[in-house]
Amino acid sequence: MAPLVSGFLLAVLFSANCNVITSSDQMCMEKEANKTYNCENLGLREIPDTLSNTTEFLEFAFNFLPTIQATTFSRLIYLIFLDLTRCQINWIHEDTFKSHHQLNTIVLTGNPLIFMAETSLNGPKSLKHLFLIQTGISNLEFIPVHNLENLESLYLGSNHISSIKLPENFSAQNLKVLDFENNAIHYLSNKDMNALEQATNLSLNFNGNDIKSIETGAFHSKVFRSLNFGGTFDLSIIIKGLQNSTTHSLWLGAYEDTENQDLTPAMLEGLCEMSVESINLQKHHFSGLSSTTFQCFTRLRELDLTAAHLQELPSGIEGMNSLKKLVLNINNFDQLCQINAASFPSLTDLYIKGNLKKLDLGAGCLEKLENLRRLDLSHSEIEASDCCNLALRNLVHLQYLNLSYNMPIGLQSQAFKECPKLEILDLAFTHLHISASQSPFQDLRLLQTLNLSHCRVDTGNQHLLEGLLDLRHLNLQGNSFQDGSISKTNLLQTVGSLETLILSSCELLSIDQQAFHSLRNISHIDLSHNSLTGNSIDALNHLKGIYLNLAANSISIIPPHLLPILSQQSTINLSHNPLDCTCSNFHFITWYKENLQKLEGSEETVCANPPPLKGVKLHEVKLSCGITTVGIFFLVIFFLLFTILLSFSVKFFFRWKYQHL
Amino acid sequence: MKGFTAAFLIWTLIFLNGGGGQAWPTHTACKDGSLEVLYQSCDPLQDFGFSIEQCSKQLKSNLNIRFGIILRENIRQLYLDITLFTKEEPIFSYSYPVCEEDLPKFSFCGRRKGEQIYYAGPANNPGFEIPQGEYQVLLKLYNENYSTVACANATVICS
Repeated sequence: MAPLVSGFLLAVLFSANCNVITSSDQMCMEKEANKTYNCENLGLREIPDTLSNTTEFLEFAFNFLPTIQATTFSRLIYLIFLDLTRCQINWIHEDTFKSHHQLNTIVLTGNPLIFMAETSLNGPKSLKHLFLIQTGISNLEFIPVHNLENLESLYLGSNHISSIKLPENFSAQNLKVLDFENNAIHYLSNKDMNALEQATNLSLNFNGNDIKSIETGAFHSKVFRSLNFGGTFDLSIIIKGLQNSTTHSLWLGAYEDTENQDLTPAMLEGLCEMSVESINLQKHHFSGLSSTTFQCFTRLRELDLTAAHLQELPSGIEGMNSLKKLVLNINNFDQLCQINAASFPSLTDLYIKGNLKKLDLGAGCLEKLENLRRLDLSHSEIEASDCCNLALRNLVHLQYLNLSYNMPIGLQSQAFKECPKLEILDLAFTHLHISASQSPFQDLRLLQTLNLSHCRVDTGNQHLLEGLLDLRHLNLQGNSFQDGSISKTNLLQTVGSLETLILSSCELLSIDQQAFHSLRNISHIDLSHNSLTGNSIDALNHLKGIYLNLAANSISIIPPHLLPILSQQSTINLSHNPLDCTCSNFHFITWYKENLQKLEGSEETVCANPPPLKGVKLHEVKLSCGITTVGIFFLVIFFLLFTILLSFSVKFFFRWKYQHL
Repeated sequence: MKGFTAAFLIWTLIFLNGGGGQAWPTHTACKDGSLEVLYQSCDPLQDFGFSIEQCSKQLKSNLNIRFGIILRENIRQLYLDITLFTKEEPIFSYSYPVCEEDLPKFSFCGRRKGEQIYYAGPANNPGFEIPQGEYQVLLKLYNENYSTVACANATVICS
């Protein structure tokens, strides 16, 4: 009988244990107290009682609500945002959101909707965003229109819609986004398009529909914010169909997995008949590329030819005087001059990122681009032994230059003399060859941000950063210092205006107490991922109110005299350090608990020593150093016993002595 | 008494299994004379379907693949990490952008959380010959917030 009873008890114990686990599994995550909850992936069949009545943002995706009705959310009347993605909803009954006056967004993506009642969306005073993506809709009459007059965006992607004809009494006057992505729309008629006339500044998305025909005049004198016809097989249909329309941006790109006709000059002729500011033609092939291909691009302000299999742009393109932004990423240029930059004299932004061949910068290839402000030449296998004055000749207004992720580049003194107005210079992951005591950034008086991470710069060069009078942000991540130490005299002494300094992953072992003494304006120092010990904190003693990241270093003990330095900073991260949780670090641990509000990453700030406390979060450690009450108790007992023993032995000694007298 | 013990045993077995969370089944992505590719979803939330059209030691470029999954995240930005292991030691790792804000390479880029995706088309891979042996490959698809979109533990057996 006894084993039976114990077995039963064990079973009860087990089930109790498991129940606790399952119920804690079903807890929603509170992201903002009483306001924002995430209950995703919990298989819930109703709104849990644990949610506050004042919930405003509720992420409830991937649960199980076959029917939603007036009682389902009735308790949460302050809802603003409700995500019901893939909750297996079949039915949305009458007055489901009747009392939700503040509701502004409803997400119903991926639900197998069978029917929505006429009044199912009534209630919200200003319903602005409605997501009905992949809900099996084949006819737009399915959507109850009674309360949609405030709607700003309507997402209808991945359904079985073949006609964009909106219900008769649908009011589109506030509509800004109408998304028909990935449906079966092949034909756009005048009548269908006229229903959208009330909307102003509309973004219309037909990506992935393969339009086969547009009725003549369907877009006549209509104005759009953006139009997307991505993945359409025959672009000439689109371009012809858009006659006499006006749109800010037109996306006509192709994809890896879609078939497309080559673009011919004849196909693009229709662009002369419309007004468009920005065109994207990514991944297309041009056949017979010549200067006439672009004859109808004259009013364009932005042109994106990413991955368009280009080896050069034809010379002598005329009339593209107003082009401001040109994107030529992921093409096949051998030399920068092959883009024939002179055709675009007004260009302010030029992107040639990720060129598929080794790009030769040449000499003065961009010199006609006097107005150029931004230039991105990253990821293009650029190699140059003496950069960059020849290559960037005459770019006097350049403010942003990105040369990151390239092959090794050699820089001499005053390497950027041609672009004195540079404000941001990004050289990350490009190895820089700079001869000793040269100052390549000498003339960059306006430079505010310099990224030299993983550039393998010679940090022993005291003159490296000379001339950077206004530098605010410097990233030196992944560079090494001699002997793993930043000494009293170092390259930072010439950049006193610095606000942000990143020295993470620099293999640092120590920092001299005086190393940062010239940095008076600093507010952010990142020293993470080094091998610094507690003593390096001394270098920050003159700084106040900064963000200090010391994560992933070798800090174990922080001596008491350094704690005031930490106290005067605003945020500190000490996570992933081998922190000592013995009494020798008692002062620091006490300080840590008193200053928790200043500490970042406290969940990952754990003890490494002594072994029993390994992995315990620092703020949970209870240390009692000095003599405890238990200790005192034992000491008293010991003392008592000792006295008794002593008196007995004294007695015994005298008795023995007198007996032998 | 015996009955009780048996019932108890079965009960604990069922409960422990249910509480412990089971692994997804191992599927065959392709199998041919010389090459076999097996995979198992390592996303605790869901399984997914994947197959490769041609399976040979001499891997062709731009292979056709089929892929079916429910998205648990938006994929306006989508990245693929591939890590190759031998004896549980990573020996090679590679990251590839599938969808980017300024270059959505595939037609499914930009799809949203909750959508079911079926993709049948080219994988845009380079061709190469697989040396003989058995390889463990970890594939991870994630978005700009490092949220997992798909995760697979694959085994490639080349004989």
